[in-house]
Amino acid sequence: MTDSASTPTALIRARGLTKVFGERTAVAGIDFEVRDGEFFGFLGPNGAGKTTTMRMIAGVSPRTSGTLEIFGEDPDLHGSEIRGQIGVVHQQETLDMELSVRENLLVFGRFFGMDRPSIATRADELLELFQLSDRAKDQVEPLSGGMKRRLSIARSLIASPRILMLDEPTTGLDPQARHLLWDALQRLKRGGTTIVLTTHYMDEAEQLCDRLVVMDQAKIVAEGSPRQLITEHASREVLELRFPNGTESIDAKVLEGIGDRYERLAERVIIGCENGEAAHARALEHGLNPESWLVRRSSLEDVFLRLTGRSLDE
Amino acid sequence: MTAASSAAPNRTRSRLAAIREAAPHPTRWRHVVGYMIAVYRREWQGSVFSGFIEPLVVLAGLGIGLGVLVGDKAAEITGGVSYVAYIAPALMASSAMNLATSEAAWPILARVAWVRIYHAIVATPLNAADVMVGAITFIVGKVAFAATFFAGVLLVTGIATSPTGALGMIAVSVLTAFAFGAPMAAFSVTQKSDQGFAFLFRLIITPLTFFSGTYFPIENLPFAAQVLSWCTPLAHGVALSRALALGTPVSYIWLHVVALLAWGVVGTVAAIYLFRKRMLK
Repeated sequence: MTDSASTPTALIRARGLTKVFGERTAVAGIDFEVRDGEFFGFLGPNGAGKTTTMRMIAGVSPRTSGTLEIFGEDPDLHGSEIRGQIGVVHQQETLDMELSVRENLLVFGRFFGMDRPSIATRADELLELFQLSDRAKDQVEPLSGGMKRRLSIARSLIASPRILMLDEPTTGLDPQARHLLWDALQRLKRGGTTIVLTTHYMDEAEQLCDRLVVMDQAKIVAEGSPRQLITEHASREVLELRFPNGTESIDAKVLEGIGDRYERLAERVIIGCENGEAAHARALEHGLNPESWLVRRSSLEDVFLRLTGRSLDE
Repeated sequence: MTAASSAAPNRTRSRLAAIREAAPHPTRWRHVVGYMIAVYRREWQGSVFSGFIEPLVVLAGLGIGLGVLVGDKAAEITGGVSYVAYIAPALMASSAMNLATSEAAWPILARVAWVRIYHAIVATPLNAADVMVGAITFIVGKVAFAATFFAGVLLVTGIATSPTGALGMIAVSVLTAFAFGAPMAAFSVTQKSDQGFAFLFRLIITPLTFFSGTYFPIENLPFAAQVLSWCTPLAHGVALSRALALGTPVSYIWLHVVALLAWGVVGTVAAIYLFRKRMLK
């Protein structure tokens, strides 16, 4: 494994990375780099190409064109060596339901060529870290969704990988389980593991990622730290005006006069501005009569809206 | 940048690397066997009946019941031995088929489509080929285990006439399991639900027992059916198993062995190819 001289700290480097399924282009020539030790995110709606990109990095999806280097090697040619240093957590659970919690870890360690004593030590360490020690002998099936997800992550870490890849790790989890998981991931990151995750949750990306790319329709539409992206693509504050009867009838000229920019959604108008309170006063002066309104700081959600003209859940 | 002169060897090298990526690793597949043994340790009680007891119940029922019915005519079919002794080694081969096909059906489909653990395994240093080689090896091993028990019973009851013959019968069961388990695995990895299995078991696997010389000689069938029968693996397994049990000479012994091996090898290659196609999208 040799790191290229140009950027010695890049563990993953993609140039023009493309994946085509028949007629459909899932990933359309994207460029990105993931550096050693960082928490890197792919943010975007379902179908944006995030999972396909993850699969190509994990060496289980041959790319159509472009270059991809993991630890300086091509995953199509050195897949096995690369996979040995990557832990993968799938979106859907892939645990064995007939084995116990601990056996799931033991069996997996063997796939990475570890010897039994080191697997046992590592397994107990991970069970402790993910608060599963008291369930070690239980079967997997009756565990809660949050526990299963923690076990999946523990399993992916059995061989102490250099990169941990998580595909939508908190989808389907309740808020408490999400926060538990976020804490665990932050701890891992502090321990030096490079983490790559996909998510369609803005708050998750904002909380966890050092750097992220926003994907939409198979392309990367923006790149940077959450803070950078917000500064660059959104104004300081956001005024949201709610019109339950629809927003089509509102004059565009009126909306332009309220703040720096606006997005018109089906039942909401979102106005980017320096001062939300002042913008609200202007809106009332212009004769708008929203059912309700709120002022908040700009988030990644607004960045996404700005870049794609759509909100993430649409 | 690569100089023009070194482009050709580079291409060869990357083609070799790509082949190595797709081919089974010499030893890594054994961890899949280890995984399946860990699962088996947890649920072996459940499979004792289907693997061990059921074939003996069938043997006792058919051997005694049909034996009485066939009566003196048995000798005409069997060449002198009792009807139980005639069908017992054949049932051993056909239960190898039954165990191998069912082991290569639901347990494999579940790991591809339901619990999806195969998706996690191909994300480790193991590749799709390692998973299939390991899965098929485990199935063959499990059949060998059951066949050893069956052969022991036949030896003790005097149906198998020599220990060497009994050992040979175990080997035949192993070959038969390979010949059925591998193609069945290739079928299973293409399925989305288990509906295809009902079709396959009712229309092919179960009828095969009747048309492969288990209960009566293949020569009693119409010629076309005889040809068809020899195209499937079970007829070869039955012919070998019976000859070894009774200690009678068997003609074309290597032809039978090669037929069984061919089914197994082609099935394994197909299973690897189809499984890889499903996993590496």
